[in-house]
Amino acid sequence: MSNMNILIAENISSEVLEGFATGSVSVQAITLFAIIIGAIFVNNVVLSQFLGICPFLGVSSKVETSMGMGMAVTFVMALATLVTWCIQQYILVPFGIEYMQTITFILVIAALVQMVEIVLKKVSPALYQALGIFLPLITTNCAVLGIAIITVQKNFDLLTGVIYATSIALGFALALVLFAGIRERLEVEDTPEAMRGVPIALITAGLLAMAFMGFANVVPLP
Amino acid sequence: MKSSLKNMVLVLFTITAISALLVGLVQDMTKDAIATANQQAKNIAKYNVLNTTAEESTVVADTTRLIGDFQITVSTVKRTADDSLVGYAVEAPSITKSGYADRIVLMVGFVEENGIAKVNGVEVLSQKETPGLGANMTKEGNSLERSIVGKDAADVKFSVTKEGGSFDALTGSTISSRAYANAIETAYAGYLWATGRLDTSEEALEAAPTGASMLQQNEPEAQKGEECNE
Amino acid sequence: MSKLQIITKGILKENPTFVLVLGMCPTLGVTSSAINGMGMGVATMAVLIMSNMVIALIKNLIPDKVRIPAFIVVIASFVTIIEMLMQAYIPSLYAALGVFIPLIVVNCIILGRAEAFASKNGVLDSALDGIGIGLGFTLSLTAIGAVREVLGAGSIFGYSFADGVMPLLFILAPGGFLVLGYLMVLFNKVAKR
Repeated sequence: MSNMNILIAENISSEVLEGFATGSVSVQAITLFAIIIGAIFVNNVVLSQFLGICPFLGVSSKVETSMGMGMAVTFVMALATLVTWCIQQYILVPFGIEYMQTITFILVIAALVQMVEIVLKKVSPALYQALGIFLPLITTNCAVLGIAIITVQKNFDLLTGVIYATSIALGFALALVLFAGIRERLEVEDTPEAMRGVPIALITAGLLAMAFMGFANVVPLP
Repeated sequence: MKSSLKNMVLVLFTITAISALLVGLVQDMTKDAIATANQQAKNIAKYNVLNTTAEESTVVADTTRLIGDFQITVSTVKRTADDSLVGYAVEAPSITKSGYADRIVLMVGFVEENGIAKVNGVEVLSQKETPGLGANMTKEGNSLERSIVGKDAADVKFSVTKEGGSFDALTGSTISSRAYANAIETAYAGYLWATGRLDTSEEALEAAPTGASMLQQNEPEAQKGEECNE
Repeated sequence: MSKLQIITKGILKENPTFVLVLGMCPTLGVTSSAINGMGMGVATMAVLIMSNMVIALIKNLIPDKVRIPAFIVVIASFVTIIEMLMQAYIPSLYAALGVFIPLIVVNCIILGRAEAFASKNGVLDSALDGIGIGLGFTLSLTAIGAVREVLGAGSIFGYSFADGVMPLLFILAPGGFLVLGYLMVLFNKVAKR
């Protein structure tokens, strides 16, 4: 095909060469530890991925409510990822209807939240008391849908996917609680009138996001 | 409207059914048009990366290689007038390194001049990187493109400068830049493979540098650079 | 409220970003440059107008308790359909706006307007509300994008004037929060006068 002399490419890495030699690439193994740390700190869902900002600004004025919200989100996110992963793998992909992903996932999450609410009311009234008021808010929390879609995109297996989603939710809870702690203090401070409420909250979130940037490159990203 | 279990289920089911039907219909309707549009974009890119046009030249052969789920296509492009070789346009994803969000797929043009293979042009076929950061790789004359176009491919080190490579990373987007370099590396390997010059013997595999060792050697230096989340 | 008022209120009095504080996720996520902000704004406006109209049309058929899921399904189908149509027939526009379209589904602005306006008003008024809120959203996003681009990349609408010397922080996540926060302060100051 070519009249050039055979040259041995010394600059091609063994990973790529191996791909051409064997016809498959070995997936770089990322440890569960790296996935968890990465999801909670490095790629914090609120502070670096900009998902779930609305509840972050809306609910986080008291530490106690933030904790409740954080727990409710963790529970729903883990459950939603479990269900959506199965739907993707066993329904959408086999039937070739991946384009229905958004619609199915949203419906599933809405139905799931309703179901959790009903079951919780019956089984554990105490837990319902604690989490109940937050559940309706979660349907509209874009982080749940966002993470369900991202988990599918990342090609995790079921267990890793659920661990990843749970870690993301823990990161959400962490950001929420940290932020609520700061806001409780802000409330008693004398803030300029134009800054009160959302503006000062956003500026605080900016500083918090800056602090979280310190985690960059701590672990390899999944 | 008042809610009862019956009308709740009924209405939600009807709305979902109608929506699903509509989406399915539109998908069916647009499937071919989308495929054609994508194919067209790829065809144009094939000629663009070799600085030629469909009027001047023709793709005479497409050689395809599957590696896992990834497809690498090497197109041989010849001048229509005198059947002389223009070069090779290689469509390649970043097979061993993902970008921030997903794999990056590039079209890379290689031309042969006096026995060396030169990178003639690069076009991004698909990427889902962050707008304003990694997505800047689609901009004309970005730092990644500048650090590779016109170079002898055999001299290029396929990683970013702070790891001792040849690629000037996009500002704040080390991961995207690494994946970009990886896609170019895959394209170069694909081009060598298609022209029968890729040595995949055991010895060659052992002698080849590993991406991981390259990274470790330069770790302290990497810490000095701008630390960013992408 | 006159028809004109429905449109103009979205720009100042009920500005979706600075007053209603809706759709924060895409607002922060895509405003790393002015042109990106504008693209997201325009794409959102198109979806908003249409989803508002459809929801105003079917609002009386939906039981209260399943209102939100029903709205979300309508919006999600809309977005999916628009994405596919654009990809097939206007690929050049899709190349420019494509990345923003899936993000619109999770934009609470669409659901917020469906809930607050379209479920209580007629089709025409809802369409006008979509235009007004969409315009306000586009203007705010372009402004935020412009400030972040000037401060972080030293360029405006892609025209570079100080390449590589500006603090990158403003393009990254913290800069998004900070710029939006300070612009909101400015908005409050000016609006109060």
